[in-house]
Amino acid sequence: MIVAVVLGVLLTVACVVFVARPFLRDPEARNDRLDTLSEPERRRIALAEERDRALAALKELEVDHRTGKVSDEDYRELVGSLRRQAAEALRALDTPTARPAERVRA
Amino acid sequence: MPRTRSPARLIVALSVAALLAVFLVYTSLAGGGTPSLRPSQLPGHTGKVSLAGKVVGPVRGDAHAAPLRFKLRDINGTATVAVLYRGSVPDLFKVGRHIVLDGRFRHGTFVGKRDSLVTKCPSKYAPKKSG
Amino acid sequence: MPELGRAALVLCLGLSFYAVVAGAYAARKGLRRLALSASNALIAAFAAAAAGSAVLFVALARHDFSFTYVAQHTSSKLPLGYSLSAFWGGQEGSMLLWLLVLTGYSAAVIVLNRRSAGDLLVWVVPVLGTIAVFFSFMLVAVSSPFATQTAPAEGAGMVPSLQNPYMLAHPPLLYLGFVGLTVPFAFGMGSLLARRADERWIVATRRWTPAAWAFLGIGQLLGSHWAYVEIGWGGYFAWDPVENAALMPWLAATAFLHSVMVQEKKGMLKIWNMLLVILAFCLSLFGTFLTRSGILNSIHSFTESSIGPWLLGFIAFVTAASLTLVFARLPLLRAKTKLESLVSREASFLYNNLLLVALCLTILWGVVFPILSELVRGESSAVRGPYYNFFLRSFGLPLLLLMGIGPLLAWRRSSLRALGRTFAWPAAVSLAAGGILLAIGAGSSIPGLIAYTFSAFVLASIVLEFLRGTRARHATSGGSWPGAFSELVARNRRRYGGYVVHAAIVFLAIGIVGSSAYDTNRQAKLRRGESMTVRGYTLTYRELVERQAANAREVRAVVDVHSGGHLVGTLRAGKNFYTVENQISNEVAIRSNWKTGEDLFLIADQIQPNGTVYFKALVKPLVNLIWLAGFVFLGGAVIALWPDAREQRRLVSRYGALPAEA
Repeated sequence: MIVAVVLGVLLTVACVVFVARPFLRDPEARNDRLDTLSEPERRRIALAEERDRALAALKELEVDHRTGKVSDEDYRELVGSLRRQAAEALRALDTPTARPAERVRA
Repeated sequence: MPRTRSPARLIVALSVAALLAVFLVYTSLAGGGTPSLRPSQLPGHTGKVSLAGKVVGPVRGDAHAAPLRFKLRDINGTATVAVLYRGSVPDLFKVGRHIVLDGRFRHGTFVGKRDSLVTKCPSKYAPKKSG
Repeated sequence: MPELGRAALVLCLGLSFYAVVAGAYAARKGLRRLALSASNALIAAFAAAAAGSAVLFVALARHDFSFTYVAQHTSSKLPLGYSLSAFWGGQEGSMLLWLLVLTGYSAAVIVLNRRSAGDLLVWVVPVLGTIAVFFSFMLVAVSSPFATQTAPAEGAGMVPSLQNPYMLAHPPLLYLGFVGLTVPFAFGMGSLLARRADERWIVATRRWTPAAWAFLGIGQLLGSHWAYVEIGWGGYFAWDPVENAALMPWLAATAFLHSVMVQEKKGMLKIWNMLLVILAFCLSLFGTFLTRSGILNSIHSFTESSIGPWLLGFIAFVTAASLTLVFARLPLLRAKTKLESLVSREASFLYNNLLLVALCLTILWGVVFPILSELVRGESSAVRGPYYNFFLRSFGLPLLLLMGIGPLLAWRRSSLRALGRTFAWPAAVSLAAGGILLAIGAGSSIPGLIAYTFSAFVLASIVLEFLRGTRARHATSGGSWPGAFSELVARNRRRYGGYVVHAAIVFLAIGIVGSSAYDTNRQAKLRRGESMTVRGYTLTYRELVERQAANAREVRAVVDVHSGGHLVGTLRAGKNFYTVENQISNEVAIRSNWKTGEDLFLIADQIQPNGTVYFKALVKPLVNLIWLAGFVFLGGAVIALWPDAREQRRLVSRYGALPAEA
């Protein structure tokens, strides 16, 4: 019975301390702001996904063409537009408006 | 050739319609489900039904030769019915066990369909799968 | 000690509640330390759940009958392994297992995603916490495993059919699967709560979802194998509601697993994926509800059960809340691209979703039919095997074919010429196979013949994929053929691991078809010395032997098996009579022919006192392919799930690792 009580108390205390840890470690936090995504960051992520999608689609087209799933004709038709899409996505990522604002660190 | 409107919605709509059609055809052909009844609900049902209840002794006979004879009682009641059964009997079968079997109610006796007797676990989960 | 268990559960409840409230508030107001504190609380909840579980494990190991639960599910002579497995044998224990696995997954998810997906995680924590609150509340207030009593001299013991190695692994694996589906659900809801329009949540759960799906699949296969060898009626799946309870979420998860690939690659099917993950999770909760609430016996026993109404209420809440959230965030879920052609890989994923969901819903209808008919008409009406088998064939056969067609299609659209070329070989192989099968008599079952033909198509297309891929890689990077092959697989783990899993599903289909559409069974009453024949085997009943084992009297009928004129084996089928539990178990004898995958299955149905035995003998062709499929499935899943450093780097550059919190 005593053992149960002691263990129970220890467990509770340990959990409470662990939960309070962020506040104990940093009682007077100067920056308590949660790093959420700003609008420019969201746009950058969307563009990065766009870019990766276009590049992956291009790579898959190459593979599909080499393994015969896509005929030469279809390949010629599709590769142009895919390359354009990829180039656009890369370009969009490089323009200054897409770069995230510098995060202010405390 | 790229289309101006996505055919996805059309596909979904057609599929739902197709599924409903298959479903309706099947249920109308196969009839509804088999009614699952308790002994107290038997009178009046003449077709094939599924009967569930608690085995009440004495259990006489032999399911493989002369039919096995016993009574089945409502799990939460007192109504009993005489049962006649031929076929394989699960090992868990004994007086007090909950069982289910298919068959027809004829002239006051429930005649069980061959090999249709199954035992049901009385506790809250089926022993077959404890997950 | 039970007090410690109860205290641990109360602690878990408190911590989970804090995680929900504090987590939601912190996410809303953007408070870093509070968010961190909330996620710590969920990790601590795991520690509390683990402590409570440890108390129960120790009590089970020591056969401490002052715990009501221990007395109900073990006996003093029960071996240690089975005593421990009684943890999940009853309602209270299985709820605790749910909580343990849930908090375990939550802790792992938090620790692994803190640095890289912190902004998404702040919303995932309250969602996970809500589910943890429910289960810990049930354990604290409604159905506690730590109820005590004056210890009786002996416990009730474990049902003999559960004393089996498969039962040690089957429930934990199933739970790892069921509960594992909470992770993609929480991330999906978290993503909506955070108002994110990107695919971060899918990337974060890229390995969790297939892992949970694989656990669920293997768990079900183990359960089927157990039913086959232990319950021994000659089958492995009976469309029992508790079996369906595991199958339905698995089907929904299969659809989800495939559909998110399209979202990742094309930005399509976003709404589908949200709905699929909600369906998969709600079905896994529903599965728990089905097996634990007593509703399958009758409405009456449902309302009498302690947890039934609560579970139903929680499922209703989760469904309503998540659907509302999806509806509210609909603008975020607009597709980036449209479907261009009905003959494209995107379209095949759409067909895949439709077929799997259709199958899942028809099974669901079959499961709730008795409940609904009892509500509406006062008497419950059940649908049986034929209903389920009809829909399994209607939807399963097209799905089987789709597994072969889908990978051969190109993205966006496939021209007929390209199709003609890629389909030529697999089509030829399948037609040839169909012809051969017809010649050897497989035409006795038309659906069976169709299934085999489709299977040949799929296997041929898989083999071709590997061949063409290896050849293409060899052409670009030279080196040896085996080298090109392993490089091919290493660089495209998900695709080729997936193909191996598809092959496993095909083996599963072949095994199921062979053992159900082309099986034979015979019954006979034999006296000593008499014989029966079944499909080329002659079975001669020689004698009856008895043996006293530790806790049972074992009676076996010794039967010689002759095939083709000579003795090929001896089978011992019979029954065990358990003294303590006062129960009889059926012990079947199985002779597996490894060359043909066929099983000779012998049941001693009834043993008369004079030694006459009623036998039932079944021959089940190809049934062992089903178990082999399990191993292939596992191998494919391991390949697909293997960590890929290059992929990791790419993802980090895409989303950027946020600066460490704290």
